[in-house]
Amino acid sequence: MDVQQAADDFRRRSLGGYPRPLDRMIYLASMRDYNTGLYYHDGLASRYSQEVACEAMADCHKEAFRNLLKSSLEDLVDQMEGYMYSTHTTPVDFLTAWRKLEPYRVAVPVESDPLSAQFLFSSFKIALAILESRLHSSPVALSA
Amino acid sequence: MIQLIPYIAIALGLGASLASFALRKRVEGGSDAMVKAKHALGTLQAGLLPAEFVSRMFDTADLKFVEAQASKEIRDLFVQERKQVVLSWVSRVRQQVVDLQSFHLGSARFYAGLSLATEFALAMDFLKLRVACRVLQVSVALGGPYAAPRMVLSTAATATRVCNVSEKSLAFLTPAYAMPTANRPS
Repeated sequence: MDVQQAADDFRRRSLGGYPRPLDRMIYLASMRDYNTGLYYHDGLASRYSQEVACEAMADCHKEAFRNLLKSSLEDLVDQMEGYMYSTHTTPVDFLTAWRKLEPYRVAVPVESDPLSAQFLFSSFKIALAILESRLHSSPVALSA
Repeated sequence: MIQLIPYIAIALGLGASLASFALRKRVEGGSDAMVKAKHALGTLQAGLLPAEFVSRMFDTADLKFVEAQASKEIRDLFVQERKQVVLSWVSRVRQQVVDLQSFHLGSARFYAGLSLATEFALAMDFLKLRVACRVLQVSVALGGPYAAPRMVLSTAATATRVCNVSEKSLAFLTPAYAMPTANRPS
């Protein structure tokens, strides 16, 4: 019950500013310690407990992953484009970094089904190629 | 004749130890098959067979969207990527089906108490699934990810049916407190 409450609280207070599942997934991945796989959020932990906050954020992360998995390729391209602009980097830098570093590979929840993750990574790769081709065909539109 | 008694006793002792050893190996093998089957069932039900995921993977809207893009390279990349994912899906479904079949061929009959008709129907489903997976692998490898949409749906439906029977057969491994009230044996 506490976990459910904490997850609702977190959705309302922290995730409200991230309407796209892609933004939510990346934000939640950034709250996770690379060495332990545990999620940390001081505000949420102070209102509940570290364990409850961690479990609630893990649930929200899985939810964001599932929602992203449901997105069509067209929607994924739109989400990625929206996310790209929100980072305030140039499209060329963003697309180069994402193609080379593939940061989405470390952004999925730990317990994701391997095939679902493979499907999502593959869709990211295609979405990146589409955004790059748009950049080349109309550099002004993407750099605006 | 009396001189033979020690030899007969030794032979009987050896026979008994061999029998107990063979029986123990079978039980150990059975538990291994059960663990594999339980894992296969979870993977199929939660990861590979949910209708939403299957329909997303084979959704032609993605293909139409990519075909509307100007670049041929992107279309080729899409077909190649989706083909790999679909082939992985078929291969993983097949592997999980093999694990479930091993359980049903081995230890299930000791625990599950399936009727003869159910066992026969299950055997037919396993056969159908293994053939369908092979045909799908060839079709997708040759014709691309959207080569056999009907076969994908029927394979997913048959695999779901097999999962339902296997779930009942493996129910004894799930503690009562972990089961939803409606599924608890009365």
